[in-house]
Amino acid sequence: MSAILVVEDDGRIRASLRLALEEEGHAVDEAGSGEEGLECLVRQAPDIVVLDLMLPGLDGFEVCRRIRRTSDVPVIVVTARSDSHDVVAGLEAGADDYVTKPFVPKELSARIRALLRRSGTRGPSAPRTLSFGDVGIQPDGGVVRKAGEELTLTRTEFRLLCELAAHPGRVLSRERLLEQVWGYDYFGDGRLVDVHIRRLRTKVESDPASPTLIVTVRGLGYKLVP
Amino acid sequence: MTTPGPPPAQRGPGLRRRVTVAFALGALVLSACLATLTYELARSYLLRQRESTLVSQAYVNARAVRQTLSGPDPDIPDLLSAVETPNLSRALLSYQGRWFGASVAVGQESLPEGLRREVLDGVPARQRFALDGRRQLSVGVPIVSVGAAYFEVFDMEVLASTLRVLGNSLVAGAAITTLLGAAVGRWASGRLMQPLANASQAAAAVAAGRFDVRLDTSPDADLAVLADSFNSMTDALGERIEREARFASSVSHELRSPLTTLSASVEVLQARRHEMGERAQRALDLLRSDLRRFERLVGDLVEISRLDAGAEQLELEVLAVGTLVEQSLQRSMRPNVAVEVRPRARGVEVRADRRRMGRVLANLVENAETHGRGVARVTVDREGWAARIGVEDRGPGVAPEERQRIFERFVRGEEGRHRGEGDGSGLGLSLVSEHVRLHGGRTWVEEAPGGGARFVVELPVARGGPTVP
Repeated sequence: MSAILVVEDDGRIRASLRLALEEEGHAVDEAGSGEEGLECLVRQAPDIVVLDLMLPGLDGFEVCRRIRRTSDVPVIVVTARSDSHDVVAGLEAGADDYVTKPFVPKELSARIRALLRRSGTRGPSAPRTLSFGDVGIQPDGGVVRKAGEELTLTRTEFRLLCELAAHPGRVLSRERLLEQVWGYDYFGDGRLVDVHIRRLRTKVESDPASPTLIVTVRGLGYKLVP
Repeated sequence: MTTPGPPPAQRGPGLRRRVTVAFALGALVLSACLATLTYELARSYLLRQRESTLVSQAYVNARAVRQTLSGPDPDIPDLLSAVETPNLSRALLSYQGRWFGASVAVGQESLPEGLRREVLDGVPARQRFALDGRRQLSVGVPIVSVGAAYFEVFDMEVLASTLRVLGNSLVAGAAITTLLGAAVGRWASGRLMQPLANASQAAAAVAAGRFDVRLDTSPDADLAVLADSFNSMTDALGERIEREARFASSVSHELRSPLTTLSASVEVLQARRHEMGERAQRALDLLRSDLRRFERLVGDLVEISRLDAGAEQLELEVLAVGTLVEQSLQRSMRPNVAVEVRPRARGVEVRADRRRMGRVLANLVENAETHGRGVARVTVDREGWAARIGVEDRGPGVAPEERQRIFERFVRGEEGRHRGEGDGSGLGLSLVSEHVRLHGGRTWVEEAPGGGARFVVELPVARGGPTVP
């Protein structure tokens, strides 16, 4: 059983999501606005946040950015359209995944399960430190250091980095990364990978504009240069 | 969708050509007038000047003749040959009823009758006439004191050849001026047309859906009007399109929120299905299946309204068409559909939006499943510079008269025979053709070899097309 915080201004959607998610065995907290959501986050410490991007007042993007300042709790954003800029903007604001309205609660809970599963166990279990230049990764400790300084990565970013670091020099396709990091065994959205790679680069690369550690292999995917 | 218009052959000559021709004609008329005037003035001046020179020369010579004749025993032939004729004139003298000439070519019969009579009657005269086709001027001076008449005949053809040279130069000048006029006309019209060409380019860009194009507001008052109205038109158009896109987006949001509630609630009901009676279960099944259809319909409507608003932007990548088709089928959870990539289509790449082409394939496969008893096979082929994706079904095929209409909105095979079955929104095929059109390709339906329908999506090849020999 996990605690899920649903931040959504539409009371009916909130109520129906609570019913559906409780049916799956989760404990659900509701917040009707961004401000309320941030308060709940501090008070309840949920395992996962489902956040609508279209909120009155403090919008979902801002809420997401504020969550990221203090917490690495997995965030799933809810967008109105899958092809809008909202998806990319939401992911860039720090979300781990997204669903598009109208979504089937089964889809949402599948993603919740995938996110929770991977935040439970962290990477392959060998107590070691992988070093790439000035970046050191401890897959077990969940710690990444750059030039000795600890970086704050979200869980998804960390998983993504570990996945790339587990196969240094090998090109990993978007599909494979989606499967390994997000736990999708069906088609996901390549933008998920792209945005997270971009965010990861701003943290681990010395010059994110011309990455040397995590490089793009056009048309194939990404690889970590050992 | 082309509106029938007049064939290009019926169009008159272009503005530019007309301006050029007008300039050339203007230059021609002007330079011809100037040349004619110049020629006439020069000719009459030269003639007058020559005549007065000749007349005074004739008088000088006549005086010399009179002096000689007044003397004793004049040797007339000697006298005539001694007369100075610097202007190639020939002298004639009538003395005591006899004629003497310095030249054999010119005798008294060469002189015009009237002139001869007049001068012999004691009146000085001159006359222009033609001799052997050459223009001549004759000046006659009566020398009354000795009863003689002195004539000089001048060949004016020397002057004529000067005039001919002048005339030729003037004609050449007029021709050059005409050409220059044409060149100036072409240049000026080019400059004039530049703003028009810019405007037409900008209009084409607007037609292609770019509403950020602007014409430079030129300092020229005449052109500024055009630029201003064009820019405000583009603004208005862009605003309107944006409004429509906003409308589509708000429709989507407004419809999607209740749909989310509905599907979450129905799912809870589904989880409690075992607690329901049989009739309630049947009602729940109906509710679920139509909810799915409603979701599809809303999704497709929003998609097509966005396409109409031109708000769609393609995220193009260069992709191998075979891989694209296989991945799309996997994504739409139909990994079992057989894909046949013809050898000549191997490695052929197209510029495509992965997600959109996924939708296209999913819609075609769904269409085959709903209306064509399932997908028989999916083929990938190449025809010159076009990659073709064919989706064949096992159905009865599409009647030739239906083949165009089937891509229209809310038109279903054989007029809704299948309405009520499946989840089709009636927009699937029109979405297919719209998406493909955005990619610069086209869509049609033909008969598959097995008798079913084959829906063909044709995309321009980006790489790996036919090798040029």
